[in-house]
Amino acid sequence: MADRNGPYFEDIDLGDEIGPVELVATDENVINFCQLWGNPMPNRFTSQEMAEASGLPSPIVPGVMSMAIMSQALTDWAGPEALKDLDLVFRQPVPHNKPLLISATVTDTRQEDGENLVECDVLMMGEAGERYVGGTALISLPSNEE
Amino acid sequence: MTMELEYNRELYGVEHEAGPFAITADVIQTFNRSIGETNPMYTDAATAQAAGYNGVLAPPTLVTMLVRNVELPDIELKFGIMRFHAGQRVQSRAPIVAGDSLMASSHLKEVYPKTGRSGTMVFTVWETTFTNQDGVVVADVQESYASRE
Repeated sequence: MADRNGPYFEDIDLGDEIGPVELVATDENVINFCQLWGNPMPNRFTSQEMAEASGLPSPIVPGVMSMAIMSQALTDWAGPEALKDLDLVFRQPVPHNKPLLISATVTDTRQEDGENLVECDVLMMGEAGERYVGGTALISLPSNEE
Repeated sequence: MTMELEYNRELYGVEHEAGPFAITADVIQTFNRSIGETNPMYTDAATAQAAGYNGVLAPPTLVTMLVRNVELPDIELKFGIMRFHAGQRVQSRAPIVAGDSLMASSHLKEVYPKTGRSGTMVFTVWETTFTNQDGVVVADVQESYASRE
């Protein structure tokens, strides 16, 4: 147990805050992501012209990529096998090359079917308080009594 | 008053399949690089093997990249002119490990209207279940698309 870096279930209280973790999705990150995703380029995620044609001021981060980086923030905290459920609503277009602040707040803790579960509200915000992506996450943590 | 939606309800209960998708260590590594993922359970085979896995673990949202490979039909919704990706959910059911081969099966889950401050939108939700080479369900992904007038 001593080699575990993440939290134990008993460490968690209602209202605990995780983060915010700050990161930036650069143009290059988004292009790499779209290449792997198989989305034909240029597209509204990588091209200024195509973004404007879609009514956007500039290229945006794909929702699938926003989910990936929010998941990463959670697994960095809880552990690589911990995330059981991530349910997100894409509220506003997420911009490239600007700080994205990812945070979570614990809303419930419970033991269910032998698992120690922690439920959180999760949020991706911009520097000026823009609420880009919101939702909930369900995380399973080990007990320090096991 | 209930809003009567016009779309192809015969699509309920129909599965649309795609795959197999080979989840190689290279695929996982490329995914890791694109989001700056460095957790050794996702990047280092020796670390993952020491934890009891046959290879590196796939980060839990990697399967969401595969959903677009399923050819989904037009539901012929008679509402709205704009359509956008409104939400996404991934539920991890079992570990996905380098070397796995996944099949995807998608179906129309629900279509429903919602009225808020910006007016009425209609949400179309598709659910995709991923199953590995041993027949184990490893993840469910829901994608929600909103249509707006």
